[in-house]
Amino acid sequence: MLLRRTDLPLDRDASGRFLPWLVAVMVYLAALALICAIGANKVVTRWDQGLAGRMTVQVPTSESESDIRAGEVLAALKAIPGVRSAETLGAEEIARLLEPWLGTGAAYQDLPMPTLIAVRIDRAAPPDMAQLRRRLTQIAPGTVLDDHQSWLGKLLDLARSVQLVAALVVGLVGASAVTMVIFATRMGLSVHGRVIELLHLVGAQDSYVASQFQAHALRLALRGGVLGLLMAVLTVLLVANLLGQSDAVALPDLSLLPIEWSLLPLLPLVVALIAMVTARLTVLRTLGRMP
Amino acid sequence: MRFEDVSLRYGAGPEILRHVNFHLEPGSFHFMAGPSGAGKSSLLKLMYLAQRPSDGGIQMFGRDVAGLSRSEAALMRRRIGVVFQDFRLLDHLSALENVALPLRIGGQRADKVRKHVAELLAWVGLAEHLHALPQTLSGGQQQRVAIARAVVARPNLLLADEPTGNVDDRIAVRLLYLFEELNKLGTTIVIATHNETLVSRFSHPVLRLSAGEIQLSRSPAMSPSGAGSQPTKGSAA
Repeated sequence: MLLRRTDLPLDRDASGRFLPWLVAVMVYLAALALICAIGANKVVTRWDQGLAGRMTVQVPTSESESDIRAGEVLAALKAIPGVRSAETLGAEEIARLLEPWLGTGAAYQDLPMPTLIAVRIDRAAPPDMAQLRRRLTQIAPGTVLDDHQSWLGKLLDLARSVQLVAALVVGLVGASAVTMVIFATRMGLSVHGRVIELLHLVGAQDSYVASQFQAHALRLALRGGVLGLLMAVLTVLLVANLLGQSDAVALPDLSLLPIEWSLLPLLPLVVALIAMVTARLTVLRTLGRMP
Repeated sequence: MRFEDVSLRYGAGPEILRHVNFHLEPGSFHFMAGPSGAGKSSLLKLMYLAQRPSDGGIQMFGRDVAGLSRSEAALMRRRIGVVFQDFRLLDHLSALENVALPLRIGGQRADKVRKHVAELLAWVGLAEHLHALPQTLSGGQQQRVAIARAVVARPNLLLADEPTGNVDDRIAVRLLYLFEELNKLGTTIVIATHNETLVSRFSHPVLRLSAGEIQLSRSPAMSPSGAGSQPTKGSAA
Protein backbone atom coordinates (compact mmCIF):
# COMPACT_ATOMS: atom_id res chain seq x y z
CA MET A 1 0.00 0.00 0.00
CA LEU A 2 2.68 2.45 1.04
CA LEU A 3 4.83 1.60 -1.94
CA ARG A 4 2.05 1.55 -4.46
CA ARG A 5 2.64 5.09 -5.59
CA THR A 6 5.91 6.88 -6.15
CA ASP A 7 6.70 10.04 -4.25
CA LEU A 8 6.93 11.97 -7.50
CA PRO A 9 3.77 11.94 -9.64
CA LEU A 10 5.75 11.35 -12.83
CA ASP A 11 3.00 9.29 -14.44
CA ARG A 12 0.95 12.45 -14.83
CA ASP A 13 3.65 14.18 -16.87
CA ALA A 14 3.36 14.83 -20.58
CA SER A 15 6.49 12.69 -21.02
CA GLY A 16 4.42 9.68 -19.97
CA ARG A 17 2.29 10.21 -23.05
CA PHE A 18 4.83 11.06 -25.76
CA LEU A 19 7.95 9.16 -24.69
CA PRO A 20 6.64 5.60 -25.26
CA TRP A 21 5.44 6.49 -28.75
CA LEU A 22 8.71 8.15 -29.70
CA VAL A 23 10.66 5.20 -28.37
CA ALA A 24 8.33 2.85 -30.25
CA VAL A 25 9.04 4.65 -33.53
CA MET A 26 12.77 4.65 -32.86
CA VAL A 27 12.91 0.98 -31.96
CA TYR A 28 10.76 0.21 -35.00
CA LEU A 29 13.25 1.97 -37.29
CA ALA A 30 16.25 0.44 -35.57
CA ALA A 31 14.77 -3.06 -35.73
CA LEU A 32 14.00 -2.70 -39.43
CA ALA A 33 17.49 -1.37 -40.07
CA LEU A 34 19.05 -4.31 -38.24
CA ILE A 35 16.88 -6.82 -40.06
CA CYS A 36 17.81 -5.22 -43.39
CA ALA A 37 21.48 -5.44 -42.43
CA ILE A 38 21.07 -9.12 -41.56
CA GLY A 39 19.17 -9.68 -44.82
CA ALA A 40 21.87 -7.95 -46.88
CA ASN A 41 24.53 -10.08 -45.24
CA LYS A 42 22.53 -13.19 -46.04
CA VAL A 43 22.20 -12.23 -49.71
CA VAL A 44 25.94 -11.77 -50.04
CA THR A 45 26.66 -15.03 -48.23
CA ARG A 46 24.14 -16.92 -50.31
CA TRP A 47 25.45 -15.62 -53.61
CA ASP A 48 29.06 -15.97 -52.53
CA GLN A 49 28.55 -19.60 -51.56
CA GLY A 50 26.40 -20.30 -54.58
CA LEU A 51 28.91 -18.89 -57.03
CA ALA A 52 32.06 -20.14 -55.35
CA GLY A 53 34.11 -22.23 -57.78
CA ARG A 54 31.80 -21.46 -60.68
CA MET A 55 32.17 -19.28 -63.73
CA THR A 56 30.38 -18.80 -66.97
CA VAL A 57 31.90 -18.61 -70.44
CA GLN A 58 29.93 -16.82 -73.12
CA VAL A 59 30.88 -17.71 -76.68
CA PRO A 60 29.41 -15.19 -79.12
CA THR A 61 27.06 -16.49 -81.74
CA SER A 62 27.98 -16.28 -85.39
CA GLU A 63 25.98 -17.40 -88.35
CA SER A 64 28.09 -20.34 -89.46
CA GLU A 65 30.73 -21.33 -86.96
CA SER A 66 29.14 -20.90 -83.60
CA ASP A 67 28.74 -24.56 -82.80
CA ILE A 68 32.25 -25.38 -83.96
CA ARG A 69 33.83 -22.56 -81.96
CA ALA A 70 31.78 -23.35 -78.89
CA GLY A 71 32.88 -26.95 -79.17
CA GLU A 72 36.50 -25.89 -79.43
CA VAL A 73 36.17 -23.63 -76.41
CA LEU A 74 34.51 -26.47 -74.47
CA ALA A 75 37.27 -28.88 -75.38
CA ALA A 76 39.94 -26.36 -74.45
CA LEU A 77 38.31 -25.72 -71.10
CA LYS A 78 38.17 -29.42 -70.26
CA ALA A 79 41.86 -29.75 -71.07
CA ILE A 80 42.99 -26.99 -68.77
CA PRO A 81 44.31 -28.09 -65.35
CA GLY A 82 42.17 -26.73 -62.54
CA VAL A 83 38.91 -27.01 -64.46
CA ARG A 84 36.82 -29.76 -62.88
CA SER A 85 33.96 -29.69 -65.35
CA ALA A 86 32.58 -27.71 -68.26
CA GLU A 87 29.25 -28.18 -70.00
CA THR A 88 27.20 -26.22 -72.46
CA LEU A 89 23.83 -25.07 -71.14
CA GLY A 90 20.89 -26.48 -73.01
CA ALA A 91 17.87 -24.61 -74.25
CA GLU A 92 15.76 -25.58 -71.24
CA GLU A 93 18.40 -24.37 -68.83
CA ILE A 94 18.72 -21.02 -70.61
CA ALA A 95 14.94 -20.65 -70.62
CA ARG A 96 14.88 -21.27 -66.88
CA LEU A 97 17.58 -18.64 -66.31
CA LEU A 98 15.74 -16.07 -68.38
CA GLU A 99 12.34 -16.79 -66.90
CA PRO A 100 12.64 -14.35 -63.93
CA TRP A 101 13.48 -11.54 -66.35
CA LEU A 102 11.42 -12.30 -69.42
CA GLY A 103 8.61 -14.37 -67.97
CA THR A 104 7.39 -17.82 -68.94
CA GLY A 105 6.99 -18.68 -72.59
CA ALA A 106 9.13 -15.84 -73.85
CA ALA A 107 10.36 -16.29 -77.38
CA TYR A 108 13.99 -15.90 -76.46
CA GLN A 109 15.03 -18.11 -79.37
CA ASP A 110 14.77 -15.04 -81.56
CA LEU A 111 17.28 -13.18 -79.41
CA PRO A 112 20.97 -13.22 -80.33
CA MET A 113 21.95 -15.38 -77.35
CA PRO A 114 25.59 -16.43 -76.88
CA THR A 115 26.41 -20.03 -76.17
CA LEU A 116 26.78 -20.40 -72.43
CA ILE A 117 29.22 -22.83 -70.85
CA ALA A 118 28.98 -23.47 -67.11
CA VAL A 119 32.40 -24.16 -65.67
CA ARG A 120 33.33 -25.58 -62.28
CA ILE A 121 36.87 -25.02 -61.16
CA ASP A 122 39.00 -26.62 -58.51
CA ARG A 123 38.98 -24.04 -55.70
CA ALA A 124 42.10 -25.56 -54.18
CA ALA A 125 44.09 -25.22 -57.43
CA PRO A 126 42.27 -22.78 -59.71
CA PRO A 127 43.56 -22.05 -63.20
CA ASP A 128 45.30 -18.78 -64.05
CA MET A 129 42.31 -16.70 -65.08
CA ALA A 130 44.26 -14.22 -67.23
CA GLN A 131 45.92 -17.03 -69.14
CA LEU A 132 42.62 -18.86 -69.49
CA ARG A 133 40.93 -15.72 -70.79
CA ARG A 134 43.69 -15.22 -73.41
CA ARG A 135 43.51 -18.84 -74.49
CA LEU A 136 39.74 -18.77 -74.97
CA THR A 137 39.87 -15.49 -76.87
CA GLN A 138 42.41 -16.96 -79.25
CA ILE A 139 40.05 -19.84 -80.02
CA ALA A 140 36.91 -17.70 -80.27
CA PRO A 141 37.41 -13.93 -80.38
CA GLY A 142 34.84 -12.10 -78.30
CA THR A 143 34.50 -14.88 -75.76
CA VAL A 144 33.70 -13.56 -72.32
CA LEU A 145 34.81 -15.32 -69.18
CA ASP A 146 32.75 -14.25 -66.21
CA ASP A 147 33.95 -15.43 -62.80
CA HIS A 148 31.21 -13.27 -61.13
CA GLN A 149 33.74 -11.50 -58.92
CA SER A 150 32.85 -8.08 -60.28
CA TRP A 151 29.13 -8.65 -59.65
CA LEU A 152 29.81 -10.12 -56.22
CA GLY A 153 32.02 -7.16 -55.38
CA LYS A 154 29.22 -4.74 -56.22
CA LEU A 155 26.80 -6.83 -54.20
CA LEU A 156 29.19 -6.80 -51.29
CA ASP A 157 29.56 -3.03 -51.57
CA LEU A 158 25.78 -2.70 -51.54
CA ALA A 159 25.48 -4.96 -48.52
CA ARG A 160 28.15 -3.00 -46.69
CA SER A 161 26.35 0.23 -47.51
CA VAL A 162 23.12 -1.20 -46.14
CA GLN A 163 24.93 -2.31 -42.99
CA LEU A 164 26.55 1.10 -42.63
CA VAL A 165 23.19 2.85 -42.96
CA ALA A 166 21.73 0.39 -40.44
CA ALA A 167 24.52 1.16 -37.98
CA LEU A 168 23.93 4.86 -38.57
CA VAL A 169 20.19 4.47 -37.92
CA VAL A 170 20.86 2.49 -34.72
CA GLY A 171 23.35 5.14 -33.61
CA LEU A 172 20.89 7.94 -34.34
CA VAL A 173 18.17 6.06 -32.48
CA GLY A 174 20.47 5.77 -29.47
CA ALA A 175 21.38 9.46 -29.62
CA SER A 176 17.73 10.45 -30.05
CA ALA A 177 16.73 8.29 -27.09
CA VAL A 178 19.36 9.97 -24.93
CA THR A 179 18.27 13.45 -26.05
CA MET A 180 14.59 12.74 -25.49
CA VAL A 181 15.13 11.29 -22.05
CA ILE A 182 17.34 14.22 -21.04
CA PHE A 183 14.62 16.62 -22.22
CA ALA A 184 11.82 14.70 -20.48
CA THR A 185 13.83 14.34 -17.28
CA ARG A 186 14.71 18.03 -17.13
CA MET A 187 11.08 18.86 -17.74
CA GLY A 188 10.11 16.52 -14.90
CA LEU A 189 12.68 18.10 -12.59
CA SER A 190 11.28 21.51 -13.39
CA VAL A 191 7.62 20.52 -13.06
CA HIS A 192 8.16 18.70 -9.76
CA GLY A 193 10.62 21.15 -8.29
CA ARG A 194 8.58 21.72 -5.14
CA VAL A 195 8.03 18.03 -4.49
CA ILE A 196 11.74 17.35 -4.98
CA GLU A 197 12.58 20.18 -2.61
CA LEU A 198 10.26 18.66 -0.02
CA LEU A 199 11.84 15.22 -0.47
CA HIS A 200 15.23 16.80 0.14
CA LEU A 201 13.95 18.56 3.24
CA VAL A 202 12.60 15.28 4.56
CA GLY A 203 16.04 13.75 4.10
CA ALA A 204 16.06 12.30 0.60
CA GLN A 205 19.41 12.10 -1.11
CA ASP A 206 19.82 12.91 -4.79
CA SER A 207 20.08 9.20 -5.56
CA TYR A 208 16.60 8.65 -4.03
CA VAL A 209 15.11 11.22 -6.41
CA ALA A 210 17.15 9.82 -9.30
CA SER A 211 15.87 6.31 -8.61
CA GLN A 212 12.30 7.48 -9.16
CA PHE A 213 13.14 9.17 -12.45
CA GLN A 214 15.18 6.22 -13.69
CA ALA A 215 12.42 3.73 -12.86
CA HIS A 216 9.93 5.94 -14.68
CA ALA A 217 12.17 6.25 -17.76
CA LEU A 218 12.82 2.50 -17.77
CA ARG A 219 9.09 1.75 -17.63
CA LEU A 220 8.20 4.16 -20.42
CA ALA A 221 11.07 3.15 -22.70
CA LEU A 222 10.39 -0.54 -22.19
CA ARG A 223 6.72 -0.07 -22.99
CA GLY A 224 7.53 1.90 -26.15
CA GLY A 225 10.37 -0.41 -27.12
CA VAL A 226 8.24 -3.55 -26.96
CA LEU A 227 5.53 -1.84 -29.01
CA GLY A 228 8.09 -0.74 -31.63
CA LEU A 229 9.60 -4.21 -31.80
CA LEU A 230 6.21 -5.83 -32.29
CA MET A 231 5.43 -3.42 -35.12
CA ALA A 232 8.80 -4.16 -36.72
CA VAL A 233 8.29 -7.93 -36.46
CA LEU A 234 4.85 -7.63 -38.03
CA THR A 235 6.28 -5.52 -40.84
CA VAL A 236 9.09 -8.00 -41.49
CA LEU A 237 6.74 -10.97 -41.49
CA LEU A 238 4.50 -9.16 -43.96
CA VAL A 239 7.39 -8.18 -46.27
CA ALA A 240 8.97 -11.65 -45.97
CA ASN A 241 5.65 -13.17 -46.97
CA LEU A 242 5.45 -10.88 -50.01
CA LEU A 243 9.04 -11.68 -50.97
CA GLY A 244 8.36 -15.38 -50.56
CA GLN A 245 5.51 -15.12 -53.07
CA SER A 246 7.76 -13.32 -55.54
CA ASP A 247 9.93 -15.12 -58.09
CA ALA A 248 12.58 -12.43 -57.97
CA VAL A 249 15.72 -14.37 -57.13
CA ALA A 250 17.90 -11.32 -56.47
CA LEU A 251 15.69 -9.99 -53.67
CA PRO A 252 16.91 -10.48 -50.12
CA ASP A 253 15.67 -13.25 -47.90
CA LEU A 254 14.17 -11.68 -44.75
CA SER A 255 13.42 -14.93 -42.98
CA LEU A 256 15.48 -14.88 -39.77
CA LEU A 257 17.06 -17.79 -37.97
CA PRO A 258 15.88 -18.51 -34.42
CA ILE A 259 19.10 -17.08 -33.01
CA GLU A 260 18.52 -13.88 -35.00
CA TRP A 261 14.93 -13.62 -33.76
CA SER A 262 16.11 -14.14 -30.19
CA LEU A 263 18.53 -11.21 -30.51
CA LEU A 264 15.81 -8.73 -31.49
CA PRO A 265 14.28 -8.39 -27.98
CA LEU A 266 17.65 -7.06 -26.88
CA LEU A 267 16.90 -3.89 -28.82
CA PRO A 268 14.09 -2.53 -26.58
CA LEU A 269 16.02 -3.74 -23.55
CA VAL A 270 19.12 -1.82 -24.58
CA VAL A 271 17.08 1.29 -25.39
CA ALA A 272 15.31 1.02 -22.00
CA LEU A 273 18.63 0.66 -20.22
CA ILE A 274 20.00 3.69 -22.08
CA ALA A 275 16.90 5.65 -21.03
CA MET A 276 17.28 4.55 -17.42
CA VAL A 277 20.95 5.44 -17.15
CA THR A 278 20.40 8.75 -18.96
CA ALA A 279 17.58 9.73 -16.59
CA ARG A 280 19.68 8.88 -13.55
CA LEU A 281 22.73 10.80 -14.75
CA THR A 282 20.59 13.79 -15.76
CA VAL A 283 18.97 13.98 -12.33
CA LEU A 284 22.22 13.54 -10.45
CA ARG A 285 23.98 16.12 -12.57
CA THR A 286 21.16 18.67 -12.37
CA LEU A 287 20.63 18.29 -8.63
CA GLY A 288 24.37 18.22 -8.04
CA ARG A 289 24.63 21.74 -9.44
CA MET A 290 22.20 23.01 -6.83
CA PRO A 291 23.62 24.63 -3.68
CA MET B 1 22.53 23.77 17.63
CA ARG B 2 24.86 26.72 17.73
CA PHE B 3 24.47 29.94 15.73
CA GLU B 4 27.51 32.21 15.79
CA ASP B 5 27.18 35.72 14.43
CA VAL B 6 24.81 34.50 11.72
CA SER B 7 23.44 36.96 9.21
CA LEU B 8 21.16 36.28 6.28
CA ARG B 9 20.19 38.29 3.26
CA TYR B 10 18.59 37.14 0.02
CA GLY B 11 20.64 38.30 -2.94
CA ALA B 12 21.41 41.98 -2.71
CA GLY B 13 18.40 42.65 -0.47
CA PRO B 14 18.43 43.88 3.12
CA GLU B 15 19.59 41.68 5.97
CA ILE B 16 16.76 39.48 7.19
CA LEU B 17 18.77 38.27 10.18
CA ARG B 18 21.57 40.25 11.79
CA HIS B 19 24.41 38.80 13.85
CA VAL B 20 22.33 36.11 15.48
CA ASN B 21 24.00 34.18 18.30
CA PHE B 22 22.46 31.41 20.34
CA HIS B 23 23.03 27.88 21.45
CA LEU B 24 20.25 25.35 21.98
CA GLU B 25 21.08 22.50 24.31
CA PRO B 26 20.07 18.99 23.21
CA GLY B 27 16.66 18.15 24.61
CA SER B 28 15.59 21.77 25.11
CA PHE B 29 12.17 23.19 24.23
CA HIS B 30 11.82 26.71 22.84
CA PHE B 31 9.14 28.83 21.37
CA MET B 32 10.13 31.33 18.72
CA ALA B 33 7.94 34.39 18.69
CA GLY B 34 7.87 37.65 16.84
CA PRO B 35 5.76 39.70 14.50
CA SER B 36 5.31 38.82 10.85
CA GLY B 37 8.41 39.65 8.85
CA ALA B 38 10.66 39.43 11.87
CA GLY B 39 12.61 36.58 10.31
CA LYS B 40 11.11 33.51 12.05
CA SER B 41 10.69 31.49 8.88
CA SER B 42 14.14 32.49 7.64
CA LEU B 43 15.70 31.40 10.91
CA LEU B 44 13.86 28.09 10.69
CA LYS B 45 15.11 27.62 7.11
CA LEU B 46 18.64 27.99 8.37
CA MET B 47 17.87 25.44 11.07
CA TYR B 48 16.55 22.82 8.66
CA LEU B 49 19.38 23.45 6.22
CA ALA B 50 17.22 24.82 3.41
CA GLN B 51 19.25 28.00 3.45
CA ARG B 52 22.91 28.81 4.00
CA PRO B 53 23.81 31.93 6.02
CA SER B 54 25.29 34.94 4.26
CA ASP B 55 27.67 35.32 7.12
CA GLY B 56 28.59 33.55 10.35
CA GLY B 57 28.65 29.89 11.27
CA ILE B 58 26.09 27.25 12.22
CA GLN B 59 26.84 24.04 14.03
CA MET B 60 24.30 21.25 14.12
CA PHE B 61 24.79 17.97 15.94
CA GLY B 62 28.44 18.87 16.40
CA ARG B 63 29.09 19.52 12.70
CA ASP B 64 29.73 22.79 10.91
CA VAL B 65 26.96 22.85 8.30
CA ALA B 66 29.08 24.89 5.88
CA GLY B 67 31.31 21.86 5.36
CA LEU B 68 28.50 19.40 4.67
CA SER B 69 28.21 17.79 1.26
CA ARG B 70 24.75 17.45 -0.29
CA SER B 71 24.64 13.85 0.77
CA GLU B 72 25.70 14.62 4.35
CA ALA B 73 23.17 17.44 4.55
CA ALA B 74 20.43 15.02 3.43
CA LEU B 75 21.41 12.55 6.13
CA MET B 76 21.45 15.32 8.73
CA ARG B 77 17.95 16.44 7.66
CA ARG B 78 16.69 12.97 8.56
CA ARG B 79 17.42 13.91 12.16
CA ILE B 80 15.27 17.03 11.80
CA GLY B 81 11.48 17.01 11.65
CA VAL B 82 9.84 20.05 10.13
CA VAL B 83 6.23 21.24 10.25
CA PHE B 84 5.86 23.76 7.47
CA GLN B 85 3.49 26.66 7.74
CA ASP B 86 1.88 25.69 4.42
CA PHE B 87 2.02 21.97 5.36
CA ARG B 88 3.65 20.96 2.07
CA LEU B 89 1.84 17.65 1.79
CA LEU B 90 2.12 15.70 -1.46
CA ASP B 91 -1.27 15.95 -3.14
CA HIS B 92 -1.12 12.60 -4.90
CA LEU B 93 -0.32 10.66 -1.73
CA SER B 94 -2.79 9.68 0.98
CA ALA B 95 -2.43 10.89 4.55
CA LEU B 96 -0.89 7.53 5.42
CA GLU B 97 1.62 7.73 2.59
CA ASN B 98 2.49 11.34 3.38
CA VAL B 99 3.24 10.51 6.99
CA ALA B 100 5.23 7.43 6.00
CA LEU B 101 7.42 9.49 3.64
CA PRO B 102 10.33 10.12 6.05
CA LEU B 103 10.37 6.45 7.02
CA ARG B 104 10.36 5.33 3.42
CA ILE B 105 13.16 7.75 2.55
CA GLY B 106 15.02 6.43 5.57
CA GLY B 107 14.83 2.98 4.02
CA GLN B 108 12.31 1.36 6.36
CA ARG B 109 10.10 -1.39 5.00
CA ALA B 110 6.53 -0.41 4.19
CA ASP B 111 4.91 -3.33 5.97
CA LYS B 112 6.75 -2.47 9.18
CA VAL B 113 5.86 1.21 9.22
CA ARG B 114 2.19 0.95 8.34
CA LYS B 115 0.97 0.06 11.82
CA HIS B 116 3.12 2.72 13.44
CA VAL B 117 1.95 5.40 10.99
CA ALA B 118 -1.70 4.43 11.37
CA GLU B 119 -1.41 4.65 15.17
CA LEU B 120 0.18 8.07 14.94
CA LEU B 121 -2.55 9.34 12.63
CA ALA B 122 -5.16 7.95 15.02
CA TRP B 123 -3.46 9.80 17.85
CA VAL B 124 -3.80 13.12 16.02
CA GLY B 125 -7.44 12.32 15.38
CA LEU B 126 -7.24 11.17 11.78
CA ALA B 127 -7.98 7.47 12.16
CA GLU B 128 -10.87 7.81 9.76
CA HIS B 129 -8.79 9.58 7.13
CA LEU B 130 -5.82 7.28 6.61
CA HIS B 131 -6.41 6.98 2.88
CA ALA B 132 -7.73 10.45 2.26
CA LEU B 133 -5.87 12.69 -0.16
CA PRO B 134 -4.76 16.04 1.33
CA GLN B 135 -7.08 18.12 -0.83
CA THR B 136 -10.06 16.32 0.69
CA LEU B 137 -8.98 17.25 4.24
CA SER B 138 -9.66 20.49 6.07
CA GLY B 139 -6.83 22.90 6.88
CA GLY B 140 -6.65 21.64 10.43
CA GLN B 141 -6.57 18.03 9.33
CA GLN B 142 -3.82 18.75 6.83
CA GLN B 143 -1.85 20.46 9.56
CA ARG B 144 -2.13 17.38 11.76
CA VAL B 145 -0.93 15.18 8.91
CA ALA B 146 2.03 17.53 8.50
CA ILE B 147 2.79 17.30 12.21
CA ALA B 148 2.52 13.51 12.14
CA ARG B 149 4.96 13.44 9.22
CA ALA B 150 7.41 15.65 11.12
CA VAL B 151 7.43 13.48 14.24
CA VAL B 152 7.02 10.00 12.78
CA ALA B 153 10.74 9.29 12.50
CA ARG B 154 11.41 10.44 16.08
CA PRO B 155 13.74 13.27 15.02
CA ASN B 156 16.47 14.67 17.25
CA LEU B 157 15.28 18.17 16.40
CA LEU B 158 11.72 19.22 15.66
CA LEU B 159 11.07 22.58 14.03
CA ALA B 160 7.52 23.77 13.62
CA ASP B 161 6.36 26.88 11.85
CA GLU B 162 2.97 27.94 13.25
CA PRO B 163 1.94 24.31 13.86
CA THR B 164 -1.29 25.25 15.60
CA GLY B 165 -2.41 28.00 13.26
CA ASN B 166 -5.31 26.08 11.75
CA VAL B 167 -6.59 24.05 14.68
CA ASP B 168 -8.86 24.94 17.59
CA ASP B 169 -7.43 25.49 21.06
CA ARG B 170 -8.26 21.99 22.25
CA ILE B 171 -6.34 20.36 19.40
CA ALA B 172 -3.58 22.99 19.70
CA VAL B 173 -2.97 22.14 23.33
CA ARG B 174 -3.08 18.44 22.53
CA LEU B 175 -0.48 18.90 19.80
CA LEU B 176 1.72 20.86 22.20
CA TYR B 177 1.46 17.94 24.61
CA LEU B 178 2.60 15.67 21.80
CA PHE B 179 5.62 17.92 21.28
CA GLU B 180 6.31 17.83 25.02
CA GLU B 181 6.16 14.04 25.00
CA LEU B 182 8.69 14.00 22.20
CA ASN B 183 10.79 16.48 24.13
CA LYS B 184 10.78 14.17 27.14
CA LEU B 185 12.14 11.45 24.89
CA GLY B 186 15.06 13.71 24.07
CA THR B 187 13.93 15.62 20.99
CA THR B 188 14.95 19.26 20.86
CA ILE B 189 11.92 21.38 19.98
CA VAL B 190 11.64 24.81 18.41
CA ILE B 191 8.14 26.10 17.70
CA ALA B 192 7.60 29.34 15.82
CA THR B 193 4.27 30.87 16.72
CA HIS B 194 2.54 34.16 17.19
CA ASN B 195 0.00 32.62 19.57
CA GLU B 196 1.08 34.33 22.81
CA THR B 197 -1.75 32.65 24.71
CA LEU B 198 -0.38 29.25 23.85
CA VAL B 199 3.16 30.33 24.69
CA SER B 200 2.03 31.55 28.09
CA ARG B 201 0.36 28.19 28.90
CA PHE B 202 3.67 26.36 28.69
CA SER B 203 6.74 27.25 30.70
CA HIS B 204 9.30 27.14 27.94
CA PRO B 205 11.84 29.79 27.01
CA VAL B 206 11.03 32.06 24.09
CA LEU B 207 13.34 33.22 21.33
CA ARG B 208 11.96 36.61 20.39
CA LEU B 209 12.74 37.89 16.94
CA SER B 210 12.32 41.50 16.04
CA ALA B 211 13.60 43.15 12.88
CA GLY B 212 16.11 40.38 12.30
CA GLU B 213 17.52 40.41 15.81
CA ILE B 214 16.94 37.84 18.49
CA GLN B 215 16.33 38.09 22.24
CA LEU B 216 15.71 35.39 24.78
CA SER B 217 13.07 35.62 27.45
CA ARG B 218 12.84 33.09 30.28
CA SER B 219 15.89 31.02 29.54
CA PRO B 220 16.11 27.98 31.77
CA ALA B 221 16.96 25.63 28.93
CA MET B 222 19.51 27.75 27.11
CA SER B 223 23.17 28.09 27.75
CA PRO B 224 25.39 31.06 26.84
CA SER B 225 26.95 30.81 23.44
CA GLY B 226 30.36 31.52 24.91
CA ALA B 227 33.09 33.98 24.17
CA GLY B 228 32.59 36.08 21.09
CA SER B 229 28.87 36.36 21.38
CA GLN B 230 27.42 39.78 20.88
CA PRO B 231 24.47 40.22 23.22
CA THR B 232 23.71 43.72 22.04
CA LYS B 233 23.64 42.77 18.36
CA GLY B 234 21.05 40.08 18.32
CA SER B 235 22.59 37.42 20.48
CA ALA B 236 20.06 35.30 22.31
CA ALA B 237 22.63 33.83 24.64
